[in-house]
Amino acid sequence: MNKPTSIDDECVIAAVLATKASVKSRALSHMLDRFTPSQIASHHIEHPPTLQECERMADRLELTAMNVTYVGARDYPTMLLSDPSRSPVLFWRGDMTALQQRRVGVVGTRSATAAGRYMASHLSFDLAERGIAIVSGLARGVDAWAHKGVSVAHMRKSSPTTLGIPVGVVASGLDVVYPKENLELWNFVSEFGLLLSESPPGTAPEAYRFPMRNRILAALSEVLVVVESRAAGGSMITVEEAQKRDITVMAVPGSPRNTSSAGTNLLLQQGCAPVVGVDDVLVALGLDTRSEHPPIFDSRPPLLAQDAALAATMAGDALTLDQLVLRTRRDVLDLAFALGRMESLGWVVNNGGWWEVLGVQSQSGYGGFHGIESHVGD
Amino acid sequence: MAFVSLRSATLLGVQGAPVEIEIHLGMGLPGFTIVGQPDESCRESRDRVRAALLSCDLPWPNRRITVNLANGANERKGGAGLDVAIAIGLLVVQEMLTAEAVAPYAFIGELGLDGSLRGVAGVVPLVAAIDDRIVVVPKAVLREARVVSQHTVRGVASLSELVQCLRGEQQWYQPEPLTSIREEYEQSDMADVRGQSAARHACEIAAAGAHHLLLVGPPGAGKSMLAQRLAGILPDLSDTDAVTSTIVHSAAHIALPQSGLVSRPPFRAPHHSTSLVAMVGGGTSALRPGEISLATNGVLFLDELGEFAPSVLDALRQPLEEGVVRIARARSSVSLPAKFLLIAATNPCPCGEGAPGICVCDDRAKQKYLRRFSGPLLDRFDLRVAVTRPHVDELLAAQPSESSQQIAARVMRARQYALQRGGCLNSALPADMLDVHAPLTEGAAKLLRNHLERGRLSGRGYHRVRRVARTIADLHSEQEHVEEKHVAVALALRVGVQPQFSGDRVAQ
Repeated sequence: MNKPTSIDDECVIAAVLATKASVKSRALSHMLDRFTPSQIASHHIEHPPTLQECERMADRLELTAMNVTYVGARDYPTMLLSDPSRSPVLFWRGDMTALQQRRVGVVGTRSATAAGRYMASHLSFDLAERGIAIVSGLARGVDAWAHKGVSVAHMRKSSPTTLGIPVGVVASGLDVVYPKENLELWNFVSEFGLLLSESPPGTAPEAYRFPMRNRILAALSEVLVVVESRAAGGSMITVEEAQKRDITVMAVPGSPRNTSSAGTNLLLQQGCAPVVGVDDVLVALGLDTRSEHPPIFDSRPPLLAQDAALAATMAGDALTLDQLVLRTRRDVLDLAFALGRMESLGWVVNNGGWWEVLGVQSQSGYGGFHGIESHVGD
Repeated sequence: MAFVSLRSATLLGVQGAPVEIEIHLGMGLPGFTIVGQPDESCRESRDRVRAALLSCDLPWPNRRITVNLANGANERKGGAGLDVAIAIGLLVVQEMLTAEAVAPYAFIGELGLDGSLRGVAGVVPLVAAIDDRIVVVPKAVLREARVVSQHTVRGVASLSELVQCLRGEQQWYQPEPLTSIREEYEQSDMADVRGQSAARHACEIAAAGAHHLLLVGPPGAGKSMLAQRLAGILPDLSDTDAVTSTIVHSAAHIALPQSGLVSRPPFRAPHHSTSLVAMVGGGTSALRPGEISLATNGVLFLDELGEFAPSVLDALRQPLEEGVVRIARARSSVSLPAKFLLIAATNPCPCGEGAPGICVCDDRAKQKYLRRFSGPLLDRFDLRVAVTRPHVDELLAAQPSESSQQIAARVMRARQYALQRGGCLNSALPADMLDVHAPLTEGAAKLLRNHLERGRLSGRGYHRVRRVARTIADLHSEQEHVEEKHVAVALALRVGVQPQFSGDRVAQ
């Protein structure tokens, strides 16, 4: 009587199966290779979903505007299908065709420096302008700023056809926004791109789900760029997952003084390719679109020679005025004046008392300090 | 003689009020009653006076004694300072002393059980409250009593000595004349602070313009060290300021310096567990001045600002604005001076490191930490400076720092410029006078405009930056216009406490 044969919506049944604690994820994944969700529900598990459960799930999915795909469904992402630890059922909002674009993962620490945030947003902006989708985790810090860069690209362009699309992979249910301050970004991603999770609606952001989320994030990226990461950060788990899947991992170099760049510097040491600009990533993707796209244009007025020297002296470190005085042996007044001038032009930023250089632009990207002689104090 | 009236004084806040002490000796059961709203310590004087008289071999009347404390205000009278007057009154009614002999005197002091005279809180304001008599005070506080008042003051050590003096059997103690003893203050020197040039510069500006200063930095960066040295670069107090400070210190019963006059700016550093009442004053029935009043004309240093109770911090806002704190209780209300320079120190974030790239706190954690200080309070700080632990090599390589003396000279000069120009220190310049006293050069105006346009500066912040820039110009003997570099420094020393991100082509 209670057999849900009357419901022919395979998606809803798949969603209900995903919520069942008695059905192991791996087992379900295997079963879905051979059977449809309704066949599994009626023949292959001990406690089949009831009609009531299915109806409740259908209502819930409709209410939260969520779509469901499962292994075997036509829209299940092909790059995940062959993955050994694929998720049997995925919940999504937005546009699945986003995954047909070239995809670059941009991830990093939650406690990023201003320079790291700058790098994340600018790199993503430039990649999006070149039609490359940005995959990220919608966490605080680098993840959020990567998608903010994409959102700026979308806000500026009148025709979004050629733009790269944001792909967000999250750990909680799609209706549980975490962290809350990213709500706007969350909505942007589901409206203009693809928001993806393997957690059923209403799932809380439990800590163990984040490493699991990272494997999907890695699997969806063609190239993974780590902007800033501690030596044992969550981003390093994503890197591991990417390396397991033979996905190219690239890292943005940072100052050796910054512990928030310890992980990325370690990756560079191990032989990852460095990223200082969009071109590095394009080359890794096998693209060179320099002829088709306008060159990166930095609208900031150029720095005076002595200011450029000061920026080079800072060498990517976040420094207080005191530390700068000690490093440069210059007068406080003179230094504050120079910093004020550079700040008003947008070259440095005062981040809660610490001065940071925002991407001194050279021909090779935003982060390099090439061609400028260093005056680092002894 | 069964009745006598003597003069003494009681303390409320930092003000003394004269009290008439009437003593009546009558028929009836032996007893001792004090009427006229005495407080607990006043009522206890019955036992102290009795013991003191007996200890000095003076008679105790076994009759009905009534003591009335009368002043016009019908207020509660507190403190043990009335003991001596009561004891002398009892001797007069027993005809051990004549009424004429005691008439020219007023008495202030607490009695010990052995008949010795002890000092009481607020001798300075108490003496000042009595205007037409010679005031007798305990010898221990004689110096204090003589410093600020023009009265004739006598000091005695014990009750028996006092009785003999009043009888004319002994000469009053003759203290050496008050020479203007200038004390050698042992103050720590700014030269001890190596590196930290920006923070030292900020201290100099704070001292010159009386701008409140917030030091943000990790533990061990030298925040407290800087704050302690700040009082040393302030100029000596003016005579009126010194008297005000001395009165407050006396009222709070805090040891005064050797010369008796608080002539150097006081430095108060209450611990972060300080209660609201200890901070603003009140508590006892005499409404003892709190830390903010004790710091009047000096420095109030609040280390670990975030650890203070929010109610305590918010209570600072009104005194910061007005320079006085008005405390009202059911029975009394007083207004205490509270014109202090506020120096506060805080960690930048929960992990304490703060430096981007080193700190492990995400933006949310930082914001949550900084939410402990209310916006209005943060707004009061004209100078907000990040302080870091200097690297050992940097420490050793640094030039020896300037001494407090050199800095103090510049501070003094800058203060004089400000006072000559506007009649007040720069932090107190009214907004409408800024264009008159702190005109901007074109470049300076442009820089400020840029910051305002980008939303980096609020309207109030704009005025504060201009005042600080004025002080910086004064320190560099730039008396006319405020130049671009002065504004740039003022802006650099007023860092956003919130983590910021802007000034790039994506965010614009």
